[in-house]
Amino acid sequence: MPTLEMRLQRYRPEQDSAPHWQDFRVEYDDSTSVLDALEQIKAEQDSSLSYRWSCRMAICGSCGIMVNGVPKLGCKTFLRDYPKGLQLAPLGNFPVEKDLIVDMSRFLEHLTAIKPYLIAEAAPQGQPHRQTPAQLARYKQFSNCINCGLCYAACPQFGLKPDFLGPAAIALAHRYNLDSRDSGKAERMAQLNSDNGVWGCTFVGYCSTVCPKGVDPAAAVNQGKIASTLDGVIQWFKPAKEPRNKEQSK
Amino acid sequence: MRTNKQDTPQTTPRRSDEPIWWSLFSAGGVCVAMLVPAIALLVLLGIPLGLVSAEQLNYQRLQALVFHPLGLGVVLGAMVLPLFHAMHRIHHGLHDLKLAHGRLAKWLCYGSAVLLSSLALWLWLTVSMASG
Repeated sequence: MPTLEMRLQRYRPEQDSAPHWQDFRVEYDDSTSVLDALEQIKAEQDSSLSYRWSCRMAICGSCGIMVNGVPKLGCKTFLRDYPKGLQLAPLGNFPVEKDLIVDMSRFLEHLTAIKPYLIAEAAPQGQPHRQTPAQLARYKQFSNCINCGLCYAACPQFGLKPDFLGPAAIALAHRYNLDSRDSGKAERMAQLNSDNGVWGCTFVGYCSTVCPKGVDPAAAVNQGKIASTLDGVIQWFKPAKEPRNKEQSK
Repeated sequence: MRTNKQDTPQTTPRRSDEPIWWSLFSAGGVCVAMLVPAIALLVLLGIPLGLVSAEQLNYQRLQALVFHPLGLGVVLGAMVLPLFHAMHRIHHGLHDLKLAHGRLAKWLCYGSAVLLSSLALWLWLTVSMASG
């Protein structure tokens, strides 16, 4: 069986003052994923290696990792595509907890802030909410997000300014705003309208390139800019029931 | 996975003024995308290939076009909006390159767009009033 050189970033907070590199050599064939290789290393070479994983089939979004500097899912990336060897590091733009594990709290806070769930009145008489295929098509691609955080590792704006809501949170806000069953748009717009909402994006577009599920967060953010502009214009012309600057007082 | 509920933004954030600058940027982008290729086609291909006579684009004719009452559209489309487009890009480019961000860079960028636009509009008004 052929073998491949793998260089892993290690960091054990109790022992190491800074992250460092460690080399391993793994056996692989055409079906060996990066995650398989990590399991091989942990089982046969160094049981202290830490990494996050769960489903092995690009559904759970746990095994996000930098492969040669590019954000990838370990389970969906194969050693056969890296004949010159590969270098694994924890996801960029997040604080490192241990070895290949990052602290994703900031991303989860942003996700919580935009209320990524259906805010809807119950359908009359216990009937299901009906939706036409055209209504489904408006938001469907944005609903494929698995919260893996690869787009945050790719986003230079999130790297520069961690308060920026970021690609996945904005894409999911947009996904629910576009859903015909949802009536929570007004609750989400305040977050999207801020400097750290859609306006924190300068349309680099790398988030959409790295997304392992084919979601196009950059499109969501830029459609969100149009929605936010319209929201501002409507707010401006709407007769003020309450003082207009109420939401700006905080 | 740990979530710190206390860090979750609870207050309503301030509405950004970015829609104003972004709208001007977008409008400028559309104008640049439409006008620049047309001008390039006329000047770089039309004249050398003899499809357009250079005489038709002489100074007097262009001056008459710009300072015609409808020429205000030319000033807006070819100068004012593209200025805002360019300064918006420079403003965000400075942030991307970690060179400058914050109030001063914003005032300098959009301020110069406002200043140069005002100058263009003032010149247009003075010349068109003087000519008639």
